[in-house]
Amino acid sequence: MLLTEAQGKALLRAAAIPTPKGHEFSSLVEIRQASLEFPVAVKAQVSAGGRGKAGGIRKVDSFVELNNAFYTIMKTAFGGEMPSSVLVESWIAIERELYLAVTIDAQAGGFSILYSPRGGIDIENGPPPLAYRIGLPRHFRAHAFRKLLEPVESDIKLRERIIAMARRLLEVATMNECLTVEINPLVVLKSGSLIAGDAKIVLDEAAAFRKAATAAAIAASREKATPDIRMCAESDLMLVWLDGDIGLISGGAGMTMAAMDAVDGAGAQPACFLDVSGNPTPSGFATAFDLLDRAPKVKGILVSMFGGGLHTDRVARTLVDLLKARSSSKPVTLRLQGTRSDVATEILRAAGHQNHATLEAAVTNIVEKASHAP
Amino acid sequence: MSILLDASARILIVGISGKFGSFSVKDLAQSGTKVVAGVAPGRHGQLVEHIPVFSSVATAVKETGANAALVYVPAAGALDAVLETIEAGCPLIAYPGDGLPVSDAMEMRAAAVSAGAHLVGPNSPGLISPGKAKLGFMPSFCYAPGPIGVISRSGSLSYEACFRLTSAGVGQTSVIGIGGDPVRGVNAAEAISLFHDDPDTRAIVYLGEIGGSEEYALAEYARRSDAKPAAALLVGRTAPVGKKMGHAAAMIGSYAEGWAAKVEALDGAGVVIARDLDGLASAARSALTRAMQPAA
Repeated sequence: MLLTEAQGKALLRAAAIPTPKGHEFSSLVEIRQASLEFPVAVKAQVSAGGRGKAGGIRKVDSFVELNNAFYTIMKTAFGGEMPSSVLVESWIAIERELYLAVTIDAQAGGFSILYSPRGGIDIENGPPPLAYRIGLPRHFRAHAFRKLLEPVESDIKLRERIIAMARRLLEVATMNECLTVEINPLVVLKSGSLIAGDAKIVLDEAAAFRKAATAAAIAASREKATPDIRMCAESDLMLVWLDGDIGLISGGAGMTMAAMDAVDGAGAQPACFLDVSGNPTPSGFATAFDLLDRAPKVKGILVSMFGGGLHTDRVARTLVDLLKARSSSKPVTLRLQGTRSDVATEILRAAGHQNHATLEAAVTNIVEKASHAP
Repeated sequence: MSILLDASARILIVGISGKFGSFSVKDLAQSGTKVVAGVAPGRHGQLVEHIPVFSSVATAVKETGANAALVYVPAAGALDAVLETIEAGCPLIAYPGDGLPVSDAMEMRAAAVSAGAHLVGPNSPGLISPGKAKLGFMPSFCYAPGPIGVISRSGSLSYEACFRLTSAGVGQTSVIGIGGDPVRGVNAAEAISLFHDDPDTRAIVYLGEIGGSEEYALAEYARRSDAKPAAALLVGRTAPVGKKMGHAAAMIGSYAEGWAAKVEALDGAGVVIARDLDGLASAARSALTRAMQPAA
């Protein structure tokens, strides 16, 4: 759950980390009533990265410019998301930009601290940041991080400030159960002190049962989500829309990705990642079909399930009923393999449907059928 | 041989009275695995599918000599259950559950490491040594004994991948699900090292995906002069940047977490790459062929 910059900075301020003075606005009326000292930075508030390069951050010198910037930003999507507000902040005089983040790393078995002496929007193109692997937060040792910083930061005062900031970010991550707390840029002011230019905070959604703020953030983002995504979340289906035209209904995250790749291997592109393993029932499959039948870009539907614990004969009965009641004429290809698939094949055959023996055969079949679809 | 789990396993199921627990007792018995005890607080003296139930893990271990635990407890109580199991002296624990807060996963891992125990999971089907024992809920028909050690980040992918290997006559020493979450017990590097030390494992098959950096542990290993040959299938070639693909850890946040960068690193280190599931069995066979040639 990626927070907006304004939400993230509120968490930083609660831990006494300096941020620029700012106000969040969602209407022009609010802006007209505010007392602002120009210049200011106007920043789109979305739960997505890359907004700097996409024009979501602007410097403005007057109310007129601010009005225009607000108008433009609010009708632009950033990373596929429309902003619900802008953050207007005092313009800060940047002496230097650093990169500092706390993140989760499998090889550390927990938290890692990442640092780069050159922060800013091009961080991805530079050399990889230094990594201090900690694991449990209580294993953070200032002297170990200092040793890592010594070769890259000769300014002793700045170095100590970075170390203190890193510990503070780790506390923010621990207290709020975050997977990422990233400040980019971490701005060095002329005075030498540090201030958070931006905040990218990812909350651990799994902790929602004991973190009311996380539960509230998830509920709010579900409100903002498209009806499709909301419908899937409510039915325990996992959906990500993709750019292709082959609708895919599959089971398990790894196998769904494998099926997406197989569609690509057959010269077409998947329209979605749609994992029904969380709810492989008549209502789960009905939701999945309803979604793909209604999506104009989907030209054909592939149902590919490998039965481990799942009994494929039950899935076959569900599919026979669904396909009988369905009004869409989009082509459908079925592949049920694994537990009780011999029975599944018979059930499908009796209803006039073919069960394809392998994922590859099924993919070839649906790609061929979809290429003739209107 | 195999890794961590063999025919001497005496399994205890924590949470035996739940739906998953009682399913597992029957499923494990069918696969020939010895289940010796169950744990459910307050139910000491009861039986589930003829298996004696104890109120605490320590008593269960003492009374039955259990040496491996399968923990079926919902996420909110999972850390406590796993800590109890570790402290009762159980050397091998599988926690298959998903939706575990990462901070609890960190604590589980740290506790297991400092006790010298091996934790498999979270968010994993567990561990199986085909023909010997199973500590998890993977479908037994997908597996057969043989010379390949399999490591997987995804349950569903490992079932079908192993079914294909088995159908192609390529059996497995052990198959370990390291899980789809960002912090895990046994991680890729540790699983690789276990297979490296197992004399019967002649080659390693790694089933990975986009997101995180675990695949680089295999690339690092494959560059060693004494490395066993390895094959890898990574899924998510068509996954977009910045979207979580089902698993908590399956999201491309940077170039290095993407498919192309990982495949390049593995290929450069001499790992045989299967571009699709279709090519997995032949990739595994060519890794095995290399294993049979004398070292150059």
